Amino acid sequence: MIENFKQVARSIFNEYVEAWKKSGKFVVGYPCTYVPEEIIHAAGLLPFRLRGIGISSLSVGDTYFGPVICSFPKCVLELAGNKKYSFLDGTVMSNGCDSMRRLDECWRKADKDIPGIRPGYFHYFGVPHKVTDYSLQWFEEEIQLFIKSIEEHFSISVTDQDLNNSIKLYNQGRRLLKQLDQIKIGEDCRITGEDALALVVANTAMPKETYIPILSGFLDNIETTCKIIPGRKRLMIVGSINDDLDFFKVIEDCGAVIVADSMCFGSRTHHDLVEETTDPVKALAKRYLNHAYCPRMFGYYKERLNFIKQKVVEARVDGVILQNIRFCDLHGSENGIFVRDLEAAGIACLKMEREYGPLVESGRVKMRIDAFLEKI
Amino acid sequence: MIVAGCDVGSLTSKALILNNKNVLGYCVIRSKTRPEESAREVFELALKKAAVHEEQVMCCVGTGYGRNKIPFIQEAVSEITCHGKGALWVMPRVRTVIDIGGQDCKAIRIDKEGTIQKFTTNDKCAAGTGRFLEVMAKLLGVAIDELGGLKGGQNQEPLTLSSACTVWAQAEVIHHLNIGKSKGDIAEAINRAMAGRVAILVGNVGLEKDVCMTGGVAKNTGVVRHLEKMLGVKIKRLKFDPQIMGALGAAIIAKQMYTGENP
Amino acid sequence: MKRETMEYNYDWNLWTILECASKTNEGFCKEYHNLLKYVPHYGPVLEAFMRFGQPGDIFLKLMAGYMKMCVTSKENGKFTALTSFCMAPPILYAFDIVPMCLEVWTVLGTIVLRRGTTEFLDYCCEVGFTETSCSAQRGALGAYLAGLCTQPDFIVFDSPGICDTNANSFAFASAFLDKPMFQLNSPPTLSDERATKYHRRDFRNLITFLEKQTGKKLDFARLKEIVGEIKRQDEIACELFDLASLVPSPLPGMYDLMLYGGKFMMGGTREYTLLLESMLQTAKGIADKNLSGTLSGREKARALFCYIDHYTTNARFWYWIDEHDISMLGSMLFTFWQKDVVYAKEKQDQTYDIDDSSDEAIIDSLADQVSRMPMVKQIRGPYDAPGMMLDDTLGAARVLNVDFIVYVGTMGCRNTWGVIKCIARDLEKAGYPTLVLYADGFDDRVQSWESITDKLNEFISLRRIGA
Repeated sequence: MIENFKQVARSIFNEYVEAWKKSGKFVVGYPCTYVPEEIIHAAGLLPFRLRGIGISSLSVGDTYFGPVICSFPKCVLELAGNKKYSFLDGTVMSNGCDSMRRLDECWRKADKDIPGIRPGYFHYFGVPHKVTDYSLQWFEEEIQLFIKSIEEHFSISVTDQDLNNSIKLYNQGRRLLKQLDQIKIGEDCRITGEDALALVVANTAMPKETYIPILSGFLDNIETTCKIIPGRKRLMIVGSINDDLDFFKVIEDCGAVIVADSMCFGSRTHHDLVEETTDPVKALAKRYLNHAYCPRMFGYYKERLNFIKQKVVEARVDGVILQNIRFCDLHGSENGIFVRDLEAAGIACLKMEREYGPLVESGRVKMRIDAFLEKI
Repeated sequence: MIVAGCDVGSLTSKALILNNKNVLGYCVIRSKTRPEESAREVFELALKKAAVHEEQVMCCVGTGYGRNKIPFIQEAVSEITCHGKGALWVMPRVRTVIDIGGQDCKAIRIDKEGTIQKFTTNDKCAAGTGRFLEVMAKLLGVAIDELGGLKGGQNQEPLTLSSACTVWAQAEVIHHLNIGKSKGDIAEAINRAMAGRVAILVGNVGLEKDVCMTGGVAKNTGVVRHLEKMLGVKIKRLKFDPQIMGALGAAIIAKQMYTGENP
Repeated sequence: MKRETMEYNYDWNLWTILECASKTNEGFCKEYHNLLKYVPHYGPVLEAFMRFGQPGDIFLKLMAGYMKMCVTSKENGKFTALTSFCMAPPILYAFDIVPMCLEVWTVLGTIVLRRGTTEFLDYCCEVGFTETSCSAQRGALGAYLAGLCTQPDFIVFDSPGICDTNANSFAFASAFLDKPMFQLNSPPTLSDERATKYHRRDFRNLITFLEKQTGKKLDFARLKEIVGEIKRQDEIACELFDLASLVPSPLPGMYDLMLYGGKFMMGGTREYTLLLESMLQTAKGIADKNLSGTLSGREKARALFCYIDHYTTNARFWYWIDEHDISMLGSMLFTFWQKDVVYAKEKQDQTYDIDDSSDEAIIDSLADQVSRMPMVKQIRGPYDAPGMMLDDTLGAARVLNVDFIVYVGTMGCRNTWGVIKCIARDLEKAGYPTLVLYADGFDDRVQSWESITDKLNEFISLRRIGA
């Protein structure tokens, strides 16, 4: 079963998406955890989180983006430029961070040179950077505009009932992933960080209706199907986006197991549930704007620090890896203060900078992880 | 009791044979394409220098980029740990070790047992590594060993050199040469740029005295001089080839492993 | 950081230098020229301001005054706020809060000090702030983090939604120094009703924050005085822009820096009005003679910098402009979008207008003003949307009749580096030769000034600019 999820995580166009498309249904991409997937789902479309794995050059990415930009959006654009995203019928762009926000223009410009690489539905979704009554109101309006634009483009209507159904289903998926997190932090760790990441990534690349029963079955039988992983250092990983299983594998092959995280392909996707109330738009706005674990939300450092500290205790973590993709200053800088404050609390830290997914230099990562594990 | 350490790095490979507290011999060679080959060759050369047979070596620890590919070792240990151990052995009061190798640069803070307290490494770019100096020396048309000794004119306004990127720095060296700046002035700027990169890493781990430098770049007196100025401390000279610290540390760990001492 | 660097506070050090510089014009001309021999390191930068006569002198005095206010704020019992260049300071002045603008302190250190702010740039990295962050804040931020500056009581900034790296510097400072912060947050659009409403509510929230921090209510009488100055300042700025569109442009190259630098430091104060009046008077005098504002009086080419200027040591950037008889028609920093300004013709919905008919109207006006500050206006949305970076650059290029456009930024600017290749392509398509400099406006170590001038000279010669 895990192999199946790994395959989904290691590819862009997977068998489930293929089957979905064959049945004549549409797929809409989204860039980050601040875009409510429930809306895409409620419209009968498949939400698919944009990723950039499996590229071997950046010839398209570097044509449009400047040199000092995070490699993640460059990799996404590279895939688009090479028509690997031609299965998308639409995509949402958002201001998750500045590098990602500029994917909007770079993708549109690239489409002028390589016609047809931009999906027909292309919608910009603006997310505030703080939580106040008026920013929540803005966010609610943004959700309403998003719904309206989907309805218009795909000639469908999205009712409150549809939204409520999607919210229920997505919450169910989140509860299962939270259950997985609980298993990871247990004394007898039965799943590697690499395998757990495959489950989390697959969650963003498959129809929920298919994913949930498989994950549920896996969790029910985990004690019989997965052996206890003995004698490894327990790590928590924090920071920039990672959907690359090999990055976790390199870390774990040094003699560790990743038992906890604060990452957007990780606990951030499922830590908070959406309230199941009568006003789904309000509930979505509240949940998505309040899940403040990404440093794009300015001024919530203490909350994020406390989240890590709490996880370190719960998961009996031996050390925390604070990583960021080069040019991701939001995570990189915050990691710098985390190191200061976590070390002051007696928690061992390793801060490192890397490139995104396929560009990671595993030798350099390994050298640092080895030394860190020897130290803790 | 004879033990050995083998350090297969990206540019050079080193091996060292240790008998209790005596270094019997060591050797440095240019790394080959395959780490196994480099390790075998340098190990045999070191054995020859030490006049020791391979069977006499009770334990061998590997380190460096290619450490996991070395066939004849009992354990692979990261070079960060090894450099800490090696430097402490040579200089017991050292607490901060700056290691600049061919492709990376590290600042390591250790305690009195040589245990790593904190470390940091440079990131992807070659600026701040031995490779940077190699590229620059080539541009200036001087041997890399000469680069450190070149000094600028005393009353000259110091030249600025890009330190963020090796490629851009190259363009600037060419510019300076074209407008007739002296090799000494340019070399000073190169060494200062390099020292600036390294000083940030040292600040990152928190400087604690004594400070020493290991790795090939420690032989560059210009970089050391600028670094001393920036850090405001004397960088202690190791009474031993700084390039060999990784292999020495590996050999010390081999000894500790074999005798069961606390590593 | 070198031990000697830690001996003096960075802000005190710069203030004393500027304080002395601002007095050099008080003697006779001969005395001034003799003095230059005794300050070999500061001579060129002093001369960069003084050679344009009275406005340069007033600007030096304004800077020295601003710095003194920052350095002596505590002994004068004033609150201090760490703030950003794009956060208009009038509301802070209304609360009698001293705005300590990071970018201003970085620029001054970069231009004036022999090695710029390199040690502080690096100190930031030593304490965990990424080296890929924006050097515009990092240069001075390092001194604040090291405790080598008057410490802020709180932090106020308005870059969230505009520029992550700018906002991140202030969020980092808040977490690192454990100081309260307030962010004005911009939506991706500017002039629609939703955005206006959002800005105005956000601005009122800022006032509540400032009231809480200072324990004082907003003093509307004082605010009215400030707003009166702003109105006058806006009128003069519009006149200056009218003059800039003349061929040749009578505006000396340094006017660009003086106009926006003055506003970032002392916007809304009497001192800034005096500076603008003097700039206008001088420029009018030059225009009457039908001369260019360059040192030689000739204009070979007209340049627009579509983002920021380059602040290399000794103000060599402005010397280069003059040596080549180039009229520097400003950068994005130069644009504030006052109603009736020449580049805002047919774009009145994107401007702000100061309405002082009621207290509420004043607050709304100030909210509108902040949301039109340089960068805050243009960088919030897609670069090719109306009123955003391309539209504004092309608009200014047409009105000001420019011959070429240059992009200088910092290595931290994700937002503009994200699209600058696309922008340059569009500008070229519109007929404007455009040079993208892979340099950092505040850190010569990224690309040295010598190397940049090579690129500029090569560009001018290859594209036959001014030929």
